Formats: sequence, structure tokens, C-alpha cells
Amino acid sequence: MVRGSIKLLKDAGSGLSKTLSEILVCPLSKQPLRFCEETNSLVSDSIGVSFPIKDGIPCLVPTDGKALDLEADNTIKPEDAVTSSVEHEADRGGSH
Amino acid sequence: MRSLSSLCRSSWLSRTRREAPHSILFSKTLCTDNSDGVQSSRIKIFDRHFRRKQLDRAAWLMRSKDSFVDTVAENLLDRLEDCKKTFPTALCLGGSLEAVRRLLRGRGAIERLIMMSTSHDMVKLCRDAEHGIQSENIETSFMVGDEEFLPVKESSLDLVISCLGLHWTNDLPGAMIQSRLALKPDGLFLAAILGGETLKELRIACTVAQMEREGGISPRISPLAQVRDAGNLLTRAGFSLPGVDVDEFVVRYPSALDLVEHLRAMGETNALLQRNTILKRETALATAAIYDSMFAAEDGTIPATFQVIYMTGWRDHPSQQRAKRRGSATVSFQDIHKQFGSES
Repeated sequence: MVRGSIKLLKDAGSGLSKTLSEILVCPLSKQPLRFCEETNSLVSDSIGVSFPIKDGIPCLVPTDGKALDLEADNTIKPEDAVTSSVEHEADRGGSH
Repeated sequence: MRSLSSLCRSSWLSRTRREAPHSILFSKTLCTDNSDGVQSSRIKIFDRHFRRKQLDRAAWLMRSKDSFVDTVAENLLDRLEDCKKTFPTALCLGGSLEAVRRLLRGRGAIERLIMMSTSHDMVKLCRDAEHGIQSENIETSFMVGDEEFLPVKESSLDLVISCLGLHWTNDLPGAMIQSRLALKPDGLFLAAILGGETLKELRIACTVAQMEREGGISPRISPLAQVRDAGNLLTRAGFSLPGVDVDEFVVRYPSALDLVEHLRAMGETNALLQRNTILKRETALATAAIYDSMFAAEDGTIPATFQVIYMTGWRDHPSQQRAKRRGSATVSFQDIHKQFGSES
């Protein structure tokens, strides 16, 4: 499912506007997203989470994301990745 | 924030008096954040998930023209006219999206506008409303996102505008820092949030009514930023040339129930994590009665104060004016005073 689409978000015929595909990144890791045609979703490879596109509107709220079932080709567990990136974010956002 | 914690404590106390063994369990069930331990390191005040639902509901309830929201949006957008700079790419966050879009009228020379809200229904509503405003040449795109986790590439925007949304974020400095990072150098951050004076009448009426009917109080109204905090927030988020100003609106309603109705239509009802999910009819009516007896005007209407804090900040850029290094002056202030200050 993941390996099926190699296209990057930028050159994908994703139906998203050019502006969106240029500026959207993963909300947690701030890394680029990839459009997956099969599931009509945006995939953040860095943390292994896919975000759905509903009615042509990408939903990038972290709780909307679904952790991908990464089998062999990726050793990072999605949960760990999310946790670490949230912590990273908290560090960036200044201490409380 | 301090007021919230004291409120919580007093509500706890009142509960422990009556039902000691269950009190802690009960208050735990009010918290919905135990499902994900991911964010537990942060302070959570607001139930973001519930806030989303409220915005969904507000999308259905919303009046086509809300004079309070329109005034705030108009006031906020008016600031764009004060800038000589143009803002080709803009991101509009949260809160009152639709009003901002409707009232934009080509200000700021925006070419590409991205509308973002946490509520899917709200975004859809804006998209459907878009057909009415096709005359302007603004390429508008839509997405659902969380202000606390801004899904926007670094240095990609010229303007971030947020109308009455950011006061619901748990991590306001974090959200502002993310907005700053998303801005290009010399990009503008414009936000309107509700300030601490907002709904003070309702706050008092709720407290009095709850004390009277239930013998304790629970937080009914969110803790809000004070004006002095707003400047600190901007500086802390690293914005240069910070500017803060305040507007106070007094809106008159026929009764307290109409006020709550209006709040609901704006999606501004209680979304605190520690909110009491039960509201007794008796308490609600008592609140309305107390509101009426304490604050009603002669003509029978009741006033509600809304304090709006407008925040302006820019992302750093070498072209911006800044203070010179200390001790670098070559002319003394006394000489300047002698030269120019004689008339004053």
C-alpha cells in the first residue's frame, strides 16, 4: 500500500490545489507529505501516519491521522515516532 | 490560569464534602485526555476534541451575518490597509473563518488564501459560501488542521490571520511560535482573541447561582488572556515590532438565554477539560434570573462585555527598524530638548 505510490506530493495529480501541495507538511514532524492515490490520503513517511482527504479537504489534525501498518521495510514503530516528534515539537515550542 | 486552578480547587472541595470516596474518580471522568498519553507533559485546559464538535455545531447554527463577529473581523482586516506591503500568500486560522473571507474585499492584495479550521463542517461551510464571492481573484484553498500542530512548511506564508480562535488553544505560545515559523521573513501575524474581561457579567452570575443552588462552583467560563499577557506572548513567540490593542464591546441581549444562544452560534461555549457536564435546569434559570437582577438595564435588556485583544507581530527581517545599541547615541537628550522642547 505504501510502496505502491512513489510520487511525491508536489507532482501528484492529487486534486489538491497547487498552493496547498506546496505548503502542506506533516503537522507533527514538519516533514514533507506524500499523496497516496489508493487510499486518497496524505502520508507522512517520517512518522508513518496517513491523513485522510475528505471531500477534497485534507484533514491534518493529528488525531485524524491513522498510523500505518509498517511491516518489514520500516523499523520505526509509529507510536514511538509520534511521541518523539511531539516531544521535539514541545522542545521547539519553548518550555512551559 | 491561576483563577482556573482556584476555581477547580473550590469545586473539588465542595464535592469532597458531600461524596468523599468518589470525588476524585468523578473528576477524573470529566477529563477526556486519559486516552492519549502522548501529550500528558503539557498543561491541558481545553478539550480540543470537544471544541471541534462545538465548531461543527456552530457551522450549522451560525447566523449569516453576526454583527459582533463581523465588527471584529472588519477591525482586524482593517489593519491590512495600514501596511504598504502586500501579502500574496495568506493563511486564515480558526474561529470566524467565514466572516474574514466575506469581509476581505481585496485588502492586503492577497492572491492565495488558505482557510484552516479544526472543524470539517466549518471548512465545508466556507467552501460552499465561496461561490457567492467569486468576483475577487483570490485562489482559495481549504484544509482541516489544528493551530497547535500547524501543518505548514517553514517560511512559506506572508500573512497569518486568526479571528477569534486562538484563545481556545492549550498552548498559545506554541501555536504562535509555529505561526511565526510558517511566515516568511517580514511576514505579518494578525490575531484577535477574547480577553479576560469577556463575559464578566456571566461569570459573576454563574458563580452566584451555583453557590446558591449547588453549594459549590465549577468552571463555566474559560480562563482568558489578559491584555498585559498579550504583549508578553508576542515577544515570547519571537515576533518583532509587537503591537497590542484592545476593544471592548458591550452587546445587549433580551435575556441571558439569548446570550447563550449567541455564544453557541459562535462556537464559544464551555470547552474546558474540567467542565461540569451536568447543568441543572434550576441552576441555569437561577443564573438567568441573577444576571437579570444584577445587570439588566432599564429597558430590560442585559449587557454582555466582550473584550477583544488584537495582536500584531512581524517575523524578523533586517529591513525592520530596531533600537540602536545602548550607548551608541552621539547627541544628548538635553540638547534635543533645548532645541525642540521649548514650546512644550
